[in-house]
Amino acid sequence: MEPTRSSGAGSGNSGTYTPEIAESLRFEEEIQSLMHPSLEPPPASDGGSSFTALLGLPANQAVELLHEPESDDSLAVAAAKASGREMWRFRLRDPKALTLPSGCSPTFPSNAALVERAARLSVFAAEDSPEAASVPSHSGDRSPKPKAEPADSDSQPICPIPGERPQRLAKRKEADKGNKVKGPAKKTKSAEEGSAKGAEENTSGEKLPYVHVRARRGQATDSHSLAERARREKINARMKLLQELVPGCSKISGTALVLDEIINHVQSLQRQVEVLSMRLAAVNPRIDFSGLDSFLSAECGRVTVGNGRGGGGMEQSAWMEATVVNGGRRQPQQQQQQQQIWHVDLVHPHPTPPVWERVDSPHLIINPGTSLFGYDPSNSVVSLHSNQLKTEL
Amino acid sequence: MNSSSSPSPSSASGSRKKPRPGPIPQPQTKWRTGTQERIYRRRLLEALRSACVSAGGGGARAVKEAADSALALTARGQSRWSRAILFGRCRRRKLLLKAGGKVRRRRQPRPVRKAPSPPPPQAALKAKKVRDRLRVLARLVPGCRKLSAPSLLEEAADYVAALEMQVKAMRALAAALSGAVLSSPPPPAAIPEPEN
Repeated sequence: MEPTRSSGAGSGNSGTYTPEIAESLRFEEEIQSLMHPSLEPPPASDGGSSFTALLGLPANQAVELLHEPESDDSLAVAAAKASGREMWRFRLRDPKALTLPSGCSPTFPSNAALVERAARLSVFAAEDSPEAASVPSHSGDRSPKPKAEPADSDSQPICPIPGERPQRLAKRKEADKGNKVKGPAKKTKSAEEGSAKGAEENTSGEKLPYVHVRARRGQATDSHSLAERARREKINARMKLLQELVPGCSKISGTALVLDEIINHVQSLQRQVEVLSMRLAAVNPRIDFSGLDSFLSAECGRVTVGNGRGGGGMEQSAWMEATVVNGGRRQPQQQQQQQQIWHVDLVHPHPTPPVWERVDSPHLIINPGTSLFGYDPSNSVVSLHSNQLKTEL
Repeated sequence: MNSSSSPSPSSASGSRKKPRPGPIPQPQTKWRTGTQERIYRRRLLEALRSACVSAGGGGARAVKEAADSALALTARGQSRWSRAILFGRCRRRKLLLKAGGKVRRRRQPRPVRKAPSPPPPQAALKAKKVRDRLRVLARLVPGCRKLSAPSLLEEAADYVAALEMQVKAMRALAAALSGAVLSSPPPPAAIPEPEN
């Protein structure tokens, strides 16, 4: 066994004979000596994770390891022992796993290399062994913590731990690649895929340029249905908007009927526009646009008492060179007649009869100036509009 | 009725090509504010004046087109239908290119589709109905013939809101004008005609 192991170690490292590899070889021999007396399997309750395997060692040896003056050595030995345990388990299954993975880069410090190897081997153990469904979570949860404790006593940085995490994530990602939606989707799976849940939550830390779509519990999680569901949600959201817009559509259920209603509404609106344009065309030749100030100022309410005719006229000319101004400026007699017109409540589009009723009260005067500028507090807005009008038409 | 309902999944939803920058714009909040209506009324008046001059007597269609152009102008070209209206009026193709060259004036010859199989399944039937209605809607909204379903619905919402505002404004204008026309006495000869 030893020659195979050492040759495996050598071939795994592709022949580079760094001092760390020498140390590892030494440690493996130590492991051998340690393991022969204690060949019994680790207690079943431990679940076979790497450090519980270490703890499965006789207590005095563990204490010795942890209290050695050279703390990095202790860590390395512990890791080596752990890897030894794992390797012992591997012997039963896959002799190839004994070869150290060539990903062990000599740039890591010695303990880190061994710890990495141990972690990798433990992960291999997890993925190969069918009974260890919970082992990944266990070893994933437990191994950083015990490793952190001896590592805390180290003066070395805890680089192995962030180093091993992406490896584990990478492995889990590869394992779950079939379930992913081309990388972007993060899913909350249903209960039977609980083991993958941890991995998925780990990968959520990455920044993905895409949108995360969450599959709900009990729903299909393959990529097609997810994309379809996103698409359907988009469409439904916009349909809801439309439903709110069109009166009477909220009660209707069913896309086709709602769309029917919307189509009818649009058609009716377009027809109304046509009718109104015909009316306007009929009225048009006889328009004197002087009477339209209140139309333009319909937002500001009905009538205001005031007499700013002269000032109003001047402001109007400043505002727009249209004939509205001319009409306002020209003759007071015309304005008296127009005052009656200005009573028209143009905020609410009433049918014509009420308009005639209100014309009878000539007392109320609309101040064209205030009416115009009641809502345009600054001339800048007005001039902007006039500029727009000049440029765009 | 300014219910701002921006559903949370759709605010995060997006196709793979370009995720939506923000929530869906609410056409009610855009078109039902008073400002848009005022802007539209002014534009409408100007358009009417120019239309009245150019079209002469009985130019109903001219009035309608003027009103629609004014509406599209008020929309500022932010929506597809407004761009379609504006660029449909002017005959230059150069301006069409500004809109991305997607607005066409003539209908392209469409490929003939084969008829569906005689006993289509139920779900497909409903989907077909929905699809037909979406086609009809696309024909109604200007410039939306080849849009996808969600964009089409969005454009339709904006268009409906804009149309409602247009109807409101035109009705008010018609009332004002007819009120003016009916109540003012026939203009005496001394008063010169307002120049347009």
